Amino acid sequence: MADAFKNTPPKAEKLGAMTEENLKAAFAGESQASQKYLAFAAKADAEGYPNISRLFRAVAYAESMHARNHLSVLGGIGDTAANLKAAWGGETFEIDEMYPAYDAVAKLQGNAEAGTSIRYALTAEKDHQAIYDSTGKGLGAGNDLTDAPVRVCPICGHTVIGDAPDECPVCGTAGQFFTAF
Amino acid sequence: MSDGETSVLGELEHRLPRPDALHAMDLADLKAAFAGESQAAERYLVFAEQAAAEGLPHVATLFRAISFAETRHARNHFRVMAGIGATADNLQTAFEGESFEIDEMYPAYVEVARLQGDRQAFKSLHWALKAEVDHKRMYAEARETVLAGGDIAEQQVSVCQVCGHTVVGDVPDKCPVCAAPGSAYRTFS
Repeated sequence: MADAFKNTPPKAEKLGAMTEENLKAAFAGESQASQKYLAFAAKADAEGYPNISRLFRAVAYAESMHARNHLSVLGGIGDTAANLKAAWGGETFEIDEMYPAYDAVAKLQGNAEAGTSIRYALTAEKDHQAIYDSTGKGLGAGNDLTDAPVRVCPICGHTVIGDAPDECPVCGTAGQFFTAF
Repeated sequence: MSDGETSVLGELEHRLPRPDALHAMDLADLKAAFAGESQAAERYLVFAEQAAAEGLPHVATLFRAISFAETRHARNHFRVMAGIGATADNLQTAFEGESFEIDEMYPAYVEVARLQGDRQAFKSLHWALKAEVDHKRMYAEARETVLAGGDIAEQQVSVCQVCGHTVVGDVPDKCPVCAAPGSAYRTFS
């Protein structure tokens, strides 16, 4: 494999079944490592370790690069129209299947904090599903989105286009804390 | 990226879901949900790059924003699972994760990719394995420093945006793993 180290990100290729399975597992692992390290970075900041926080953030970013490379080889990156459709499909699965089932189990088992975390996510995924749907339709008609900011509640993930509400309708966090993109 | 995280968490932390004594099925569900949110966040970041490359900057912004929302969900699930400890413990957790990938996961995956002749997969897996070795060492050193009572030195950390090679201090002229130029590094300072 002498030519395996050219200076380009890896590309999609026809994969053996076992390699495909392994890459999927590696994508899952890198994605989760990245999120763990971001959470650890926030904790390090809170404990007064700004330099360890920076290390966690940088390594989280490195894991993101690995995740992107694995996803690329898996053929998981299409054009934007296809990506919007894939994103819509993922949100739809979470809304119709995954989170309602998890929510029911959390209620059954009386795990209130788990229930909160699950309901925050379920509620936001509905925002995402609607936004991906309208964005995909706009793109089909030849239009990019408007340049209105997209705002995200840093507590529950509630997502709105345009102005932040006075108070998050899902978790009650004041709108001034929303993160604007 | 969770750049908004540190600026607001102090004031708002009491609003987040807390660690819970979880039943086994709830724990299994939250683990699966954490895996799903983490992967969605990464996918959307990649989709944002693709949208930007297609001249759709606002769709790119949307993907980045929703990626951030998914990271909030991932963090919430992770908190409820009691995944976040003190920094010394978090460094140990990170060290163990990197060790597993270096000693077990990636060597097996790299070998299978070689066996099956999947060159692009080999490259992607090999690059990751290389970087995890650096990460493991950095986490071990950082943990020692914390246990001795201090933060690590204030030095920039840079990441190759092609292969994920991670370096503390000066950026090399050329990435030693994938040969990308030094300009391909993103610096955290």
